[in-house]
Amino acid sequence: MNIDTVMQKVHTLAAPVFAIGAMFLLSLFSLATTPAAAATAVITNERSGDLILMNESGDTIDVIPLCSRPRGMARNSTDNTLYIACSDDGEVLEFNFNTKEVDRVFSKLSGAMSLALHHPSNRLLVSNEGAARATVINLLNAEVLATLETGHEPDGVVFSKEGDLIFVASENAGMVHVYDGNTYQPIKRLITNLRPRRLAVRENELWVSSEMGSRVEIFDTASLIKKDEIIFAPRGFRSEQLTPVDILFDQTGSTAFIALGSANHVVIVDAANRKILKYILVGRRPWGLGLTEDGKRLFVLNGLSDDVTIINTDNRRPVRTSRAGLVPHSVEIIE
Amino acid sequence: MLLAFMFTSSIHANTIDITVVTAAAEDRKSAGKSFAGITVIPDRPVQRAVELALYESAILFETLEVEAKLHQLQLSGDSNLESQLSNTPTGGMLILDLPAAQMKTVARQANAMQRVAINVRHSDSNLRESLCLPYIFHTIPSDRMYFDALGQFLIYRGWRKVLLVQGPTTEDTVRAESMVKSLKKFGVTIVDQRTFTLSHHPDDRDENKPEFLTGGVSYDVVAVIDTQKDYGRYLQYSTRSARPVVGDVGLTPASWHFALERYGAPQLNERYRRFKSDITPGPQVAMTDAEFAAWSAVKLVTNSLNTRPPGTELDVMSLLHDPASQVDLYKGTRGSMRHWNHQLRQPILLTTPDTVVAVAPMPKFLHPKHYVDTLGIDEPESGCQLPPNAQQ
Repeated sequence: MNIDTVMQKVHTLAAPVFAIGAMFLLSLFSLATTPAAAATAVITNERSGDLILMNESGDTIDVIPLCSRPRGMARNSTDNTLYIACSDDGEVLEFNFNTKEVDRVFSKLSGAMSLALHHPSNRLLVSNEGAARATVINLLNAEVLATLETGHEPDGVVFSKEGDLIFVASENAGMVHVYDGNTYQPIKRLITNLRPRRLAVRENELWVSSEMGSRVEIFDTASLIKKDEIIFAPRGFRSEQLTPVDILFDQTGSTAFIALGSANHVVIVDAANRKILKYILVGRRPWGLGLTEDGKRLFVLNGLSDDVTIINTDNRRPVRTSRAGLVPHSVEIIE
Repeated sequence: MLLAFMFTSSIHANTIDITVVTAAAEDRKSAGKSFAGITVIPDRPVQRAVELALYESAILFETLEVEAKLHQLQLSGDSNLESQLSNTPTGGMLILDLPAAQMKTVARQANAMQRVAINVRHSDSNLRESLCLPYIFHTIPSDRMYFDALGQFLIYRGWRKVLLVQGPTTEDTVRAESMVKSLKKFGVTIVDQRTFTLSHHPDDRDENKPEFLTGGVSYDVVAVIDTQKDYGRYLQYSTRSARPVVGDVGLTPASWHFALERYGAPQLNERYRRFKSDITPGPQVAMTDAEFAAWSAVKLVTNSLNTRPPGTELDVMSLLHDPASQVDLYKGTRGSMRHWNHQLRQPILLTTPDTVVAVAPMPKFLHPKHYVDTLGIDEPESGCQLPPNAQQ
């Protein structure tokens, strides 16, 4: 993928049309219906190969053609840099949100799927879906620090808060690989229920969504032993229809949001006592989740209905469902 | 002759033994060829799919310190079946890659010798009743599962009037009975049931010319039972009324397909194409339903290790009977064993040669207990009533 060409397309085609549209929409609706909407949701769309920028009210403000099959993202909150996995190109793009330019391209990352950033150590973790491995990159000099062997179909990746542990989920093997974050030596393989997809860390806990096991499993990050699990049961669904994928914690780590895939619901969970607070009906096959910094708006990406449901987390109700690109995958919120 | 691969030590506490049982060369029929010699049914041994499943699970075996051994038993007509089967390890699993008649004989003998044996090739619903035996399991869907999926699809589309056209063989008749039961179960009306002939004689034109065979009656679709796939493929675009064709041609129920693009299926298809292949086959090559059934059988055992408390004995019979044993089938809904007739429950794909049109169960077909149990013979209607824990 030639970045110059891509950026040219953005400026000549997408920008004027959508800028005018966005200004029109903003003046008509947004300012009148919501308080100053500062946050922008950036959404990758797998099949249309683009990014959509959306304001908190759900209005599309820009569409940026990007690459082949953009999927996972990671955000550096200090400088509004986004890292975007372009799976079919085998590349990760460093996208500067302020300038809307691609500043760097990390290539030779076959099947790049999910990303995690450890900001203090400037490291990016990439799962390589087709290649049964994960790659750790030093963002300062773009060097590959380590290649970590995994089971087939690695997906979710996460660093521990201190960066001393690396976790990679292998969907096919049904396990989470634990690597030392400094030496990159394997520490343990955590056996999970079927098809572990996404990982999230809070306090001393690793949360793992088991898509085909219809549950979230919780491991202690110190002992690396499973300590708990959460089983879901929204009304009118059989257990096997519940296919959890994305897990997202709020700023304090006290509330968890989990997208339930085929069950077309998002669930809000009290993270400390595992109590289910609310099931919220969204679009078809929700996977990707994003939360505004104030925690008031949850963006839910519905992969099979090509839309985004925005949820008011105060009253736990959907506010609006807006059109996304084709097969929206991941969302990051820039304030 | 029993051949073993991939073993390092002869006795291991945590061993899973899998034996692929094949027929002697002279007993393998040359299926899948039409009169003109065109290959219409891909018919491959299931061995490679079994090896793929073990390859996928290698890292799990290593982690759990389980040793998987793959054996091959090619039956010989010369020696006694019991003595041939007695060479297979106890506590393991036999995958029966055999023609129907021989599969039945071997299954009964295996059951008598307390060897778990899996039917991966034969969808005949009656086998789920006639082979109602504690050690016998079926991972290939039954015809009732396939046709229930089709029946749900027809009702979902509002195509309620069906002209059923079937072949003249006994197998065609048996399968047509399954189809009629399935279609009627969901409220489809069979407006007429007709039999085609392969004869080209002018006197037989009511049975050999598609325009005549499908004329004189009103219908929404033509359903075809043509097990040999020799005549039915000429029906599409030649029916008297402009109507879709479903069944063994046109819209066909299947358990696996190259064009399934969700649920991780592209990864499995890609892995299959590259696995142990000198040339990576084209993108339209995928596991046959028999291969997928063999892959599913091994994966059911290996996936069940994920939910098994560590340190428990790895006896295939107890793994298959554990209600917690589940398998990720890359079809959006996990599979598991129906305890009453030992049939692997799973979603069914409704396919054409180039796409997956739908994945059954179709919306609004609900079951009180299990999401996919609207497909196939349900517990109350089954003539086979094996207990939930059939272990002796």
